[in-house]
Amino acid sequence: MSAARNATKSTLTHAPLLAAAAITLIPIAWMLCAAVKSGEDFKWLFLPRGDGFLGIAWDHLTFSNFTRLFGEAHMGSAILNSFFVSSVSAVVATLACAAGGFALARYRFRGRGPITVLVLGALIIPPPLLLAPTYELLYHLSLLDTFTGLLLPGIAPAFGVFLFRQATIQSVPRELLEAARIDGCGELRAFFVIVLPLLRPMIGAFMLITFLMWWNNFISPQVILQDPQKFPLAVAISQLKGVYYQDYGLQMAATVVSVAPVMILFLLLQKEFIAGLTAGAVKG
Amino acid sequence: MRHYSLGVWIVVAIAVLSSVGVAVRGGHKAEGLTMWTFARPHAAMYRPIVDAWNENHDPGVDLQLLSLAAVEHRMLAGFYAGVETADLIEVERSIAGRAFTGPLEAVGFTDLTDRMREEGLIDRINPPSFGPWTSRGHIFGIPHDVHPVLLGYRTDLIEAAGIDVTLIETWDDFKRVMRPLIVDADGDGDVDRYPLAYWPTDLDKDELLILQAGGALFDADGRATIDTATNAAILAELVSWCVGPDRIACEAPDFTQSGNDLKRQGYAACYFFPDWMCDVWNKELPELSGKLRLMPLPAWEPGGLRTSVWGGTMLAIPKTAKDFDACWEFAKHLYLSDELARTLYRVGDIITPITEHWDDPVFDEPDPYFGGQAKGRLYIQMAPHIPARSSSPYNRRAIERVSDAGMRLLEYAKSGEVYDPGALQPKALELLHDAQAEVERQMARTAVFREGDSSKTSQDNPGGDG
Amino acid sequence: MRERPGPAPYILLAPFLLIFAVFIVYPLIRSLGLATERSFGPGTSDFVGIKNFRLLLIDPLFWKAARNTLVFTLGSVFIQLPLALLLALALNRPTLRGRSFYRLIFFSPQLVGLVFSGMIASLMFEKRTGLINKTLHGIFGFSLDYPWLQVHIMPMLIITALWMYVGFNMVYFLAALQNVDRSLTEAAMIDGASKAQRFFHVTLPAIRPVGAFVVLLSIIGSVQLFELPFIIFSQTPYGGAGPDNGALTLVMYLYREAFETGDLGYASALGWIIAVFLFLAGLGQLVITRGEKA
Repeated sequence: MSAARNATKSTLTHAPLLAAAAITLIPIAWMLCAAVKSGEDFKWLFLPRGDGFLGIAWDHLTFSNFTRLFGEAHMGSAILNSFFVSSVSAVVATLACAAGGFALARYRFRGRGPITVLVLGALIIPPPLLLAPTYELLYHLSLLDTFTGLLLPGIAPAFGVFLFRQATIQSVPRELLEAARIDGCGELRAFFVIVLPLLRPMIGAFMLITFLMWWNNFISPQVILQDPQKFPLAVAISQLKGVYYQDYGLQMAATVVSVAPVMILFLLLQKEFIAGLTAGAVKG
Repeated sequence: MRHYSLGVWIVVAIAVLSSVGVAVRGGHKAEGLTMWTFARPHAAMYRPIVDAWNENHDPGVDLQLLSLAAVEHRMLAGFYAGVETADLIEVERSIAGRAFTGPLEAVGFTDLTDRMREEGLIDRINPPSFGPWTSRGHIFGIPHDVHPVLLGYRTDLIEAAGIDVTLIETWDDFKRVMRPLIVDADGDGDVDRYPLAYWPTDLDKDELLILQAGGALFDADGRATIDTATNAAILAELVSWCVGPDRIACEAPDFTQSGNDLKRQGYAACYFFPDWMCDVWNKELPELSGKLRLMPLPAWEPGGLRTSVWGGTMLAIPKTAKDFDACWEFAKHLYLSDELARTLYRVGDIITPITEHWDDPVFDEPDPYFGGQAKGRLYIQMAPHIPARSSSPYNRRAIERVSDAGMRLLEYAKSGEVYDPGALQPKALELLHDAQAEVERQMARTAVFREGDSSKTSQDNPGGDG
Repeated sequence: MRERPGPAPYILLAPFLLIFAVFIVYPLIRSLGLATERSFGPGTSDFVGIKNFRLLLIDPLFWKAARNTLVFTLGSVFIQLPLALLLALALNRPTLRGRSFYRLIFFSPQLVGLVFSGMIASLMFEKRTGLINKTLHGIFGFSLDYPWLQVHIMPMLIITALWMYVGFNMVYFLAALQNVDRSLTEAAMIDGASKAQRFFHVTLPAIRPVGAFVVLLSIIGSVQLFELPFIIFSQTPYGGAGPDNGALTLVMYLYREAFETGDLGYASALGWIIAVFLFLAGLGQLVITRGEKA
């Protein structure tokens, strides 16, 4: 292939990709711009026009949205709550689902068939169907307005068990387990020492998915938690919205603050994430 | 073990650290009575009063600010499941009606009627303000406000067009006098200015205009009365404002940034202004200070009603409240004081419903945002005349269906080039008939009233026609 | 596979089984009970048997919600998934530079979260001031008043969902493509197969299992569509399910009946209809993929 043809070919691939990337980024760029604008500059689509460099009124830009955001009560504790809720759920759910998924994939025991069907069946339940009965149940368990009540229903999602079952089928060789048993390794020890390390990619992927899900979760914390000190970011930010008016600058600043941590986490777990998804999708 | 990705370890580390953080911080134990409010300005206004109360009262009050959606969720979930909610709840009109489905004894709020009557509160509060909180003759909350509506106009634009607003008494006058405002300044074939911000999709404006014109979506017994000839005539008139050569209205929504842009540009010259809307403009559009004035709404016929009503809040005490008497004492202290009446107006531009405070000089203070008008006095003049409202749980759905009928009628007018309200009326009636059928179907399914309930409906309704 | 593993599998499954029983099975049974009751609003109800289901089937709003949901699901499956596959194919070229850069960009809307995506969408699609109408007006002279949020609601939702999820589905396809045995495509190339032939006869069959999985997830996700329109329309003056119930989906109808009207019975019946429908969809999917393998 000649160099010229190569160049055309690469332009042909890059042009549509770049266009798609630009379209994807426009709303995000818009959000970033909105976060550094004050109310009256909202009439400008992106950055306010003026006579500064590139025709932009740089002196109009402001960090006041961010300072106002952190000046609001509870914002620091909201960030702590979000980290707490998301990371604890991610760790516990990963362990619980890995254990369950492994058991379903590598043991023959009474009830295995029905449990596998249950796991798949749970995927089709519309979550709002359970919202009211769950609220009632949490009340009777005295778990309303507690982190336990918020986290407990979600620490062993069926979807995760399914993903780990798939991952186990793919990447935990039976022979290895047999060898371990012959060496006298107990079943539970084998799970922690042999199986978990082999499930590394799915662990990374599932942790990321769970973390993201809880980080952005909005409806259940809003229903279950009552004390503003316990609110995670998504709920605390929604409280910033006035009933009769909107403060977009503040809300966009809050979005920027809330996206940054998950963006970093995604970058760190990207490789596992993709490998994990592959494992989950084969042999459906 | 080292083989796990850095990301995994970071999540584990965050889990450990944040758990320690949460544990160290400890819990905030709710003490005494809890009160929920959904509005940030309300919370700011109440805080000092609550703190002063807590100094010498036991149990004290723990004031919590929640979003309206959260109040709605928790209140209704609590009522449905019989679960405890707060001891005092500020309830906005859009969600209050939902508590009134079902028989009276199943309403989650305490019935305050007898207390109010015994203690003479009924006579101290503006009668029409009870409407949205009264179901089948029983009052379930203390009204927070009146929320009369005036017309706000951009005096700069109107003077530039050489218009004299004193010539306006009715909507017909308005249409005629305001005509010169309609211009296409940049000549792109797209009109840049209309006299009025209204569109059939603005549910609140649909409702306030129907109420002003003497229409009603429910009768005193809570039956749907959507497909009446009166309502059809009103709807046909409203749609004729939005289409054809005599179009006067445009869409410039409230509470959105885009709507604010259009307001800055002066896309519409006149806007509906309930008292609280003054505060919204003040905060969101400070650059328009001095450019607005308020006047009574144009009437639907000469001598007709020059105001309407938009929004509202009550303070209710759920049946599950821990200590009713303490709640009641605090509720009265908070809502009836002259101190709060002044704060409501100074901070939120809201007129108190407690009539004895209406003489307070605070309402005569000139407001620079409206070019020095004493707007408080204007609103108070209108306050006793606001139209009565239904507390039907189906009110919101009914307005939605009327709004949809309006949009369909608008399409019909456009496609058939029928612009005359009289000619649109038969079609309006037909569309409202569909709306009525749908609301009735839902009412039949959820059965608002059980037998025997409706008998006590119309007698002694203090929220009646004041 | 161990024949007699002792208590180990039960211990490993215990957390899942316990949580599942308490927080899924119990509320589910409770909701089944509710579905046979007529609620009189807060706290009161009567047993009515299957009447809620009968009423649902003659409820025009139910059918409207079903139609909206179907349109959205078709849009997701037939517009979003092919685009995701296309993006994945473009990114799968081994010589392509900046692959992880593109991958990050296409995935980024997922990180922004639903609440804010909804908020941004409600601004972007505004008449007159929204970025989309302004751009279309500027370039193609479209009307500034094109009513995305008033009339063309489902296309608006499909576009928004496309923006949010196409990157996620792309990652699935990309992962599958990277697992395609390169020797197969190379063999086909030596045999003189054209590019299209290679795609349809080698690549596509190889990624079929993943494809089936993604389609199923996409159907489940689309049929459960609720939060996105709920958030978008809570930002507009009309609110609720949008003008003329244009944004009413099945799950939104469920939510509104349960938490706004207070008719838990009707809502539960609706939830069960959705669950049965998804069960059938999943079953159909299983039959189709199994059938083709045989």
